[in-house]
Amino acid sequence: MNRKLAALIAAAVVLVLLIVPNLGLTGYMVRLLAIIFLWIGKTGCWNMVAGYTGYIDFGAVGYFGIGSYVTALLMAKAQVPFLVSILIGGIVSGLIAIPIGLPTLRLKGAYFGIATLAFAEAMKQIILEFDKTAGVNFFDGPHGITLPMGPGNLFFYYLGLVVMLAVVGITYWIERSKFGYGLRAIREAEHAAELSGVDTLKAKIGAYVLSAFFLGVIGGIEAYWLTYITPHMVFDVLITIQMVVMALLGGIGTLFGPVVGAAFLTIIYEVLHRDFQYTYAIIVGFIVVVVVILMPKGIVGTLNTKLGKHRVKQAQ
Amino acid sequence: MQLFIQSLITGILLGGVYAAYSAGFSLIFGVMGVVNIFHGELVMLGAFVTYWMFTLLKIDPFLTIPFSLVSMFVFGFLVQRYVINRVVEAPPMISYILTFGIHLIIAYSALWVWTADFRTVTTSYSGFNADIGGIIIPYARLATFGLALIVVVGLYILLYKSDVGRAIQATAQDKEVARLMGVKVHRIYAITFGIGAAITGVAGSLIATYFIIYPQMGLPYTIIAFCVVVLGGMGYIPGALWGGLVLGVVQSLTATYLNSGLSGAFSFILLFVMLIVRPAGIVGKGIVE
Amino acid sequence: MTILEGRNVTKYFGALTAVNGVHFSVKRGEILGMIGPNGAGKSTLFNVIAGVYRPDQGEVILSGKDISGWKPHRICRAGIAKTSQIVQPFTQMTVFENVLVGGLHGKGLPISGATKEAKEILEFVGLGGLVEMPSGSIPVPARRRLELARALATGAEVILLDENMAGLNPTEIEEVLKLLREIRKQGKTLIVVEHIMRAVMGISDRIIVLNYGEKIAEGTPSEVANNEKVIEAYLGAKICFA
Repeated sequence: MNRKLAALIAAAVVLVLLIVPNLGLTGYMVRLLAIIFLWIGKTGCWNMVAGYTGYIDFGAVGYFGIGSYVTALLMAKAQVPFLVSILIGGIVSGLIAIPIGLPTLRLKGAYFGIATLAFAEAMKQIILEFDKTAGVNFFDGPHGITLPMGPGNLFFYYLGLVVMLAVVGITYWIERSKFGYGLRAIREAEHAAELSGVDTLKAKIGAYVLSAFFLGVIGGIEAYWLTYITPHMVFDVLITIQMVVMALLGGIGTLFGPVVGAAFLTIIYEVLHRDFQYTYAIIVGFIVVVVVILMPKGIVGTLNTKLGKHRVKQAQ
Repeated sequence: MQLFIQSLITGILLGGVYAAYSAGFSLIFGVMGVVNIFHGELVMLGAFVTYWMFTLLKIDPFLTIPFSLVSMFVFGFLVQRYVINRVVEAPPMISYILTFGIHLIIAYSALWVWTADFRTVTTSYSGFNADIGGIIIPYARLATFGLALIVVVGLYILLYKSDVGRAIQATAQDKEVARLMGVKVHRIYAITFGIGAAITGVAGSLIATYFIIYPQMGLPYTIIAFCVVVLGGMGYIPGALWGGLVLGVVQSLTATYLNSGLSGAFSFILLFVMLIVRPAGIVGKGIVE
Repeated sequence: MTILEGRNVTKYFGALTAVNGVHFSVKRGEILGMIGPNGAGKSTLFNVIAGVYRPDQGEVILSGKDISGWKPHRICRAGIAKTSQIVQPFTQMTVFENVLVGGLHGKGLPISGATKEAKEILEFVGLGGLVEMPSGSIPVPARRRLELARALATGAEVILLDENMAGLNPTEIEEVLKLLREIRKQGKTLIVVEHIMRAVMGISDRIIVLNYGEKIAEGTPSEVANNEKVIEAYLGAKICFA
């Protein structure tokens, strides 16, 4: 696809999304779109690591939760303004990602997945039990934290839009930059990448921390929107699961994969979850099985491959 | 002192059961490199086979074990043969995303069909305990521990003393060479998964005799299986015993002396540290890719 | 002028001594051949030089600097590139992108500069026609050239070739040898590990011979070919007299 054409289409879409709430979109639709934007953001973050380095992270929700809690604590207990809080939430997540990432990113495949999962679950347990164990009144454990009331859905719509554009934009930059080439080389053949001069540890940590930062920011945003958070809510492994499936469906390692996957799955959820509580999860399960067996590159990935083959045929 | 011993014994008995249902997980990973994310569901299904046979047919739970064994073997065999075998040659990431999808299907279908109610299997002898100098040991748990040991030992014998077992080991060590020697690798995979599922199902049946069972119980068990197997060494069957015992004791002691909620955090922190410091497990015989 | 040397290089794997007190030195612009039966420790020595393993004893010195135990990417940036016995292209990336990575990260060029160089290098090694192909789909001889191209793109002064010619037919081997001579003309230094005797003997200025982890002989190709110890080491082993 012609670069200029793609840029024009992207700009047009963004413009539409900017004005559309004022053109009579229902409150329900605004809320739904905001949810989709934030899922695209989350999935995009997960995709930064999994898609471009090949390291499948099963603990991504850990950083989301950390961001939520930092933001909630700052806003509820120290009256720090919202935007500052989420920024700090992101930074704290990013900082924590360093001591977690350094040892785990040396592990291979399944072990990395298990270690990161353990990290996320441990975070949940720690926040649940910390107060009781240390005898303080800080995290409020299972009781959760209540944040000050926030603005309406429209605010979060625009915020979600900005975040989504930031994440997609950064992914776009990754794809074309020196950093991105290094990451992809790591995904394809890490050993060969190292031998070709790629500082693999630095590159992996870089992607991991970047992803953690944005997950932390999104966690903070959602905490404010929800107004009340508990460890079970914001460290829920189901959040990681959905990120994984959305990326898988859309196409891990592609720019628009998260967009397609997140939109698709959120809509399915909206359609199903009211009447068929468990059906959503079962369908997601089937989607995973079918995609893995028939279409492991996801929707966008498979399209890219077909187009790519076409282009190569034309060039020959 | 008595408290310590009680806690220790409870931990050991618990550890035996952990070992029983984690051995299958280790086997499947060791032979096929598949990290089975729906492992906990195999426990759940075994538990429910026992529950329904007990509730509907009034069969004593310990007598349902053969049924559990056979039905879970068939289930595991078929899933591997028709689904997982398709991606077993692909990078590991693919297989655990796949098993994860299967986890969703099984867990939520069970939830849908059987509802989220908690269930128990309470027999006439459920409450009886042995009392040794003030240390309470429920008979059911003792029986479970014994059976768990039999399962692990039985698996070990199967792998080292039978033809099928040897074929499985050969495939685990070098599948190309095994193939050249006439081993039908994909069939061995199916059999291996069947065996793994069968012993896990049996462990589930045992668990049903004294723990509460419910359709969503799978995931915590899968995570415990991870912990046990990493501690004991991935792919090293006797290691499941070590890992199970260590984990059982650690959990029991933290629950007694610290805070029962914290035992969960401890397991994860232990797992995390193990993966980084000694991924080959306590005894150092695990497979590290 | 010595560009690379190894002093008493030793590497253990548990109870196995894979490389035992090996001394070697290579002059700038030289082509050094390294031969020896399977399991002699050649690949291990290469891995120690390239930084994949840290030597348990001894040092590796590049242009006077002790690089022992440096991380592979740092050694690559310092000027040593290694090809792998089992080719490892970045499969989902195109041939061009593969070489680009070497220029970006090995040589540290910006994208524009690395792009230009990548195209030149691909022309030079004869892969100009396959530039846009996914590197996983090109034939084996082309993949070998790609490994070489990627190594060149890193700006390495010393290139370690680990059985780069295995599985090629005589014509293909001749082409590669011609290419290696061209590369030497550009001032590069090569260390070549090969089992194809004709190739190694034909291209090397000097040869060292390893057996059971130790250096058992060193000299010109003809000196080495007539060396008793070398002949003894190869008796019973499979040699390829192409």
